[in-house]
Amino acid sequence: MIRGIYAVVVLDLKRAWLDRARLLTGLAQPLLYLFVLGAGIGGSSRMGGPAYQRGIFPGVMGLSLLFTAVFMAISIVFDRQIGFFKAVLVSPLPRAAIALGKITSGAAQAFIQGLILLPFAPLVGIHLGIVNTAEMLAAMVLASMTFSAIGVAVASQFTSTTVFPIVSNTIILPMYFLSGALYPLAMAPHVMQVAAHFDPVAYAVDLMRGALLGTYFFPPLLSFAVLVGLITLLSWLGVRVFSRGEDDSVLGATGFRWRR
Amino acid sequence: MPTVAMPDASAPAVAVRGLVKHYGAVQALKGIDLTVKCGEIFGLLGPNGAGKTTLFSILATLRTPTAGTACVFGRDVTIERDAVRRSMGIVFQEPAIEQRLTGRDNLLLMGLFYQLPAARARKRAAELLDHLGLTEAADRPARTLSGGQRRKLELARALVTDPSILFLDEATLGLDVDARRVFWGEVRAIAAAGRTVFFTTHYMEEAEIADRIALIDSGQIVALDTPRALKARVGGGVIRLQTEGDDQARAWLIERGLKPEAGGPGLMLVHDDPAAILPDLLRHLPVKVLRAEVHEPSLEDVFLKLTGRGLEMEGAAAPVRGPGRGRP
Repeated sequence: MIRGIYAVVVLDLKRAWLDRARLLTGLAQPLLYLFVLGAGIGGSSRMGGPAYQRGIFPGVMGLSLLFTAVFMAISIVFDRQIGFFKAVLVSPLPRAAIALGKITSGAAQAFIQGLILLPFAPLVGIHLGIVNTAEMLAAMVLASMTFSAIGVAVASQFTSTTVFPIVSNTIILPMYFLSGALYPLAMAPHVMQVAAHFDPVAYAVDLMRGALLGTYFFPPLLSFAVLVGLITLLSWLGVRVFSRGEDDSVLGATGFRWRR
Repeated sequence: MPTVAMPDASAPAVAVRGLVKHYGAVQALKGIDLTVKCGEIFGLLGPNGAGKTTLFSILATLRTPTAGTACVFGRDVTIERDAVRRSMGIVFQEPAIEQRLTGRDNLLLMGLFYQLPAARARKRAAELLDHLGLTEAADRPARTLSGGQRRKLELARALVTDPSILFLDEATLGLDVDARRVFWGEVRAIAAAGRTVFFTTHYMEEAEIADRIALIDSGQIVALDTPRALKARVGGGVIRLQTEGDDQARAWLIERGLKPEAGGPGLMLVHDDPAAILPDLLRHLPVKVLRAEVHEPSLEDVFLKLTGRGLEMEGAAAPVRGPGRGRP
């Protein structure tokens, strides 16, 4: 099983390496949030630009991880249209390894994207010491896994890539905005604070904010437990969905479906 | 190429018993029985939509039968799926290589998916690429290769795991005649090394390389024998005529005690000595003959005689079409 997951991850990373330019273009969005939106909103608030930028850095990291992971998960839909996948399907590789491999490779790619963003932290006044960097990296791993698991769970429900904007606008963006990534949850209206308790992105962002800035909204142990629990649950779901695709009646290169 | 150890020497390579597959109300397979011996080249020949791909997909563990059983080297394709998967290499109709990666990378990835030790996969990939004349092309992205090279790469991909049986599904679709000849030359070499080969095709001249052929039509095997024996069923030789009035000509032939085959475009007449009766026919037929042809019986003739339909001709598509075939 582990070797199967490894095989899927190697395949995905080899493919991603061909698109390595995306690592740089993927940096554009978070930097815009940080240095344009952040400077603008911060400058016009009582907080002041630098303090606001510092405050949203973990949230912008969340943005980068979330969108990279979800975008990678969408590749599952593409995969069904790629012939190579058929060769994978007739290999002795367990379906569960495909699901878990997809989650792992999405997380790995998100994490790498995050690593490229992290060195910008000192520019907004965040000191990167050994301890808080280690904490941050751990939080990023957890966040990447969570977002990738969410992405795979969502993507495995769809057979067409055209749904990505819809998924993004109806599921991912609300989760992101509600998470407190771009504002302190502690100062948000009570309703939003309550709602944030049901938003996995909020826990992930909060862990990263705590690691870098030292202030937590949720108890860190709770966040940790919620994220690990969610990763487990969604992985289990993913394995189930992928395993259901065993007898597939529409196996053409154009219309492969996991589900009957 | 190294010879292959058989997983179970006593069991046939493929054993299919009473295989039925329904897609909703559509009966794609209506009870298939066939046995492929170890080391045999076995061809499944039939028109598009006859059920070839459905049968193939079941053997390839990609679909489950509605009823009946299918075993590969004595292992049931639904119950012992992983063992079956490990024993076979498959070339699909559609490309199954990652076009953006190099040929070599594709082979190594396959090795990874089959959990081959890395060193062995590398060695095996290099051997295969060399053997298939792809060494030079192996380190370019697969999409830059020619059609024939890409098909050979598919063959290498299927063989990198050292399978005991090779499954080919319309593997030469879209290749020109030369590339097809090269491809089948390789397949023959693979079989000579002791592997079993099971292939589907709707090109009759490709089927000729098989040791035995099953003709399939509308989800049923209509004949199963060696190419020579199948052609012997047709008898001496075949006359094909195109006339200005086929129906009238047919009636006239029947009147004369001859037996033109039913169906098919034009007229087909099987006779012990076709060359001897042709001049007489041409002289006396009451309609103008546009074209006359005498030839040794081909598999096409066998198929036409057995089913009343051609293999490759227009309109040959059978009424039963399995989903997943011929979709846009």
